[in-house]
Amino acid sequence: MDTVKIYTNIIKDNMNRPEKVNKLINFGLTAAYYYVSFFKDKRIPKSLHYLNKYSIKSIKDSLANPQNSAWVNLFAPSEFLIAMDIKPLFIEAYSSFMSGFFIEDYLIDTAESRGMSNTLCSYHKTFIGASELNILKKPKFMMTTSMICDANIPTFKYLSKKHGVPLYIIDIPYKYSKDSVVYVKKQLLEVAEKLEEVFNRKLDIDKLREVVKTENKIRALMKEYLNYAGEKRFIPTMTFEMYMLFASHVFIGSKEVLHFYEMLVEDIKRAPERSGKSIFFIHLLPIFEKNFKDYFNFSDKFHIAGSDLNYDFVDEIDENDPFKGIAEKLILNSFNGEINRKVARIKELIEKIKPDGIIQFCHLGCKQSMGGTFIIKNLASEVGIPFLYLDGDCVDKRNNQEGQNRTRLEAFLEML
Amino acid sequence: MIGYVCKYTPVEIIEAFGEKPVRLDPGYKSYEHAEALIHSNMCSFAKGVLENIIENNIEEVVLTACCDSIKRLYDVLKDKVKFIHLLDLPRKKGPLAIDLFYNEIIEFIEAYQAFKNKNFAEENLLKILESKSFNKDKQSTESIAILGARLKDDVIEKITNSCTAKVINFTCTGEQRVFNIEAKDNLLKSYAESLLNFTPCMRMAEDRSKLINKEFKGIIYNTIKFCDFYSYEYAELKSKADLPLLKVETDYNDSNSGQILTRIDAFLESTGIKKMEKQKTKKGYFVGVDSGSTSTNVVIIDENKDIISYSIIPTGPKALESAFKAFEIALKNAGLQERDITSIVATGYGRVSIPFADRIVTEITCHGKGAFFVDNAIRTVIDIGGQDSKVIRLDDSGNVIDFVMNDKCSAGTGRFLEVMARTLGISIEEMAKVQREVKENITITSMCTVFAESEVISLIAQNKDQRDIIHALNKSIASKAISLVDRIGRKGKYMMTGGVAKNQGVVYAIESRLGEKLIIPFEPQIIGALGAALISLEGK
Ligand code: SF4
Ligand code: SF4
Ligand code: SF4
Repeated sequence: MDTVKIYTNIIKDNMNRPEKVNKLINFGLTAAYYYVSFFKDKRIPKSLHYLNKYSIKSIKDSLANPQNSAWVNLFAPSEFLIAMDIKPLFIEAYSSFMSGFFIEDYLIDTAESRGMSNTLCSYHKTFIGASELNILKKPKFMMTTSMICDANIPTFKYLSKKHGVPLYIIDIPYKYSKDSVVYVKKQLLEVAEKLEEVFNRKLDIDKLREVVKTENKIRALMKEYLNYAGEKRFIPTMTFEMYMLFASHVFIGSKEVLHFYEMLVEDIKRAPERSGKSIFFIHLLPIFEKNFKDYFNFSDKFHIAGSDLNYDFVDEIDENDPFKGIAEKLILNSFNGEINRKVARIKELIEKIKPDGIIQFCHLGCKQSMGGTFIIKNLASEVGIPFLYLDGDCVDKRNNQEGQNRTRLEAFLEML
Repeated sequence: MIGYVCKYTPVEIIEAFGEKPVRLDPGYKSYEHAEALIHSNMCSFAKGVLENIIENNIEEVVLTACCDSIKRLYDVLKDKVKFIHLLDLPRKKGPLAIDLFYNEIIEFIEAYQAFKNKNFAEENLLKILESKSFNKDKQSTESIAILGARLKDDVIEKITNSCTAKVINFTCTGEQRVFNIEAKDNLLKSYAESLLNFTPCMRMAEDRSKLINKEFKGIIYNTIKFCDFYSYEYAELKSKADLPLLKVETDYNDSNSGQILTRIDAFLESTGIKKMEKQKTKKGYFVGVDSGSTSTNVVIIDENKDIISYSIIPTGPKALESAFKAFEIALKNAGLQERDITSIVATGYGRVSIPFADRIVTEITCHGKGAFFVDNAIRTVIDIGGQDSKVIRLDDSGNVIDFVMNDKCSAGTGRFLEVMARTLGISIEEMAKVQREVKENITITSMCTVFAESEVISLIAQNKDQRDIIHALNKSIASKAISLVDRIGRKGKYMMTGGVAKNQGVVYAIESRLGEKLIIPFEPQIIGALGAALISLEGK
């Protein structure tokens, strides 16, 4: 039995003792942190190594001090939190880590036994399960947006009621207009007020501006990175493309993320030239799926060209009026609104990156993503790039039909 | 006509255009067209709507930005119908939200004007709204609430017809659409506001707990596969458990299936609001007919509740013929004629197709009744029949207070054992012999009959001892039964009924999982019919 399995079993045996499990999870994260710090994998570029550590640390930080933390989702405007030094914990990240510890099945079963639908997205079920078992200590605040994903509002409403923790829902309209910006901006002002009240500290508007400025610098670097993404072989494993979500979303605007992108651009310049076939991913990468792991991680035959999720907003935010700027950023997200927006973004990206193939892994329960599969397939055939979609689950490993997927994935890769 | 799905659709605007709004209510069993256009794991309602639009060539559609499924439905339909419009729908109330929605309505009007080359007249709208103004009918009668995801119109109608209480439909299909427009000078804006003031659906940011009235006789909670919104509220209601609550899980299009209607009927019966015909007779002989999917059973009792005779025959292809036959045999055994019978109650799957019955009652109520009559210490009935299984919870007076039924598959039923007996090449009787000692403790991991069968085949190929395989199969049935029991919580004493109760091996396997003895009635297959006969006598 390997170490992770032993660790998993210890956690599972203690599920009725939340305090202990909480400690065990903290221990697991600490161990992971030190592991990556001391055993540097030579194949991993410096920047990604830094990102790896930063991501683990950010989860650890918010778990270690729930009283200074807020639960959010991937798309929530964490700029406010960063400016106020509040530690965000986002659902998608926590659940991925629990899947990494192999305890997602237990947490999901718990959520389902409390009445959650078994067709609900497993990122949400895992998180709810952990919170039902009190493994997750309640935070001081919760914040979610209504955009992109149906699960957010009900999950946060449920958790907020259950734990008696204040929640702010930011309703993001589907269409962009002057009025919709006003509508969101007003809510963002309310969020700020609420945060000041709950955490009993002031939001320094200059600090917020600083965060937005950093964010703009980061987006400029992202663009620079993309210029090389088509020519180089860079991302060594699927997990790193997913770790990038920490940097492109929740923690964008922090000094550390700026540092990361600076290193990233340097690293990719030095990376080996593109060789083998490169695959562009739509939305998520199945980091725990065995076939994908076998084919993509540290492979010189196939490499990961990127995912559109990391580039769902690429413009500048208005630094003078950050509230308005952030409101625009939220509404104009390429995943929000009609699918045409998303299709246009994917088109831009693949024109730049010129991948050899496109894969969409349809995560069970994620309707915003799989609902567009056939439209993206059309786009792919228009631009003449082979496209494959596969069904499965990025968190709940039990939902992956590995045998079936293997044949289809292999046939697709052979075809390229 | 303009097809729509959401209650927040500006239906009255469509009417003011002189067009006919039609709420799409699909009832498809297959999604041939839809699944060519959209991924099959989308919510089945959205797929049904898509199928409906394509199949019936619906040319004009108005949607709201309700959920991810509907948004993608819009994307898919965009170049497939002549007119399609999506209105964004704020999740909050308040002046800014009203402004947004008002703009959306204006945008819709403009788009439709351009499409139809027709002008919109506000006077028309005003007239329509006035005709739908509030009438305060204060009915303080008993009521039952339907919450959760949208429930089909015909199911709502069936519930309304079969219960004595007022049915309040809080789902997407239930809005009353009454308006109280005061600011006539800005009609469209007040209209936008009143739409946003409709009973909030789960998609909205607003807290919905105010909808739950402690006076409800019960709540029927509907959920739809791949619809995320509603399970949370169910979980919350369930954890409070202060009102009788029934969860139905459908894929929308099958929500009027027999299984679901049976469960709803049983729920209405257990909450005491089921419509019942008047019963007067109290003398003579009383019959219960249980027309099950595998066997048809009849019990005749006299006015002292003594069993005079019974019969059990396999159900043939025609439920009615089998019922006649079983009835005749029971009459003959009792030495009675049909005219001696005072009243007949039918139950079981085939109950609706028995014309000579005076009343029909669900098998859930009947099993509860029969079990409690045999032993009034019973609090849990585990019924495993040929094609389904259920667990029923009784209170101290023998009323059904909760129940669960297995899913639509044959896992954990008599059918499962039959298939396995065939695979093993032995008779079902042989298989039922006591299995206490095992050489090797094998576990069959698949619950599904098809997969379990291939597991058994590979066990045979590995030369495993037949008795050990049977033991493993019994354990598998037991674990399915225990999972049903655990869904309503454990409480003794337990009675096991149905054909499978005659299988000693299964009985032992369940007992060892429960850690308690099961009461097995002298003839486990007739408990449902006995309950029906008792109801026939008591008239309730
Ligand atoms: S995977 Fe899809 S459904 Fe799940 S959290 Fe992300 S957007 Fe929502
Ligand atoms: S859930 Fe709400 S928004 Fe969606 S269709 Fe129903 S009423 Fe409309
Ligand atoms: S049932 Fe749920 S997922 Fe389906 S269309 Fe309605 S709200 Fe959307």
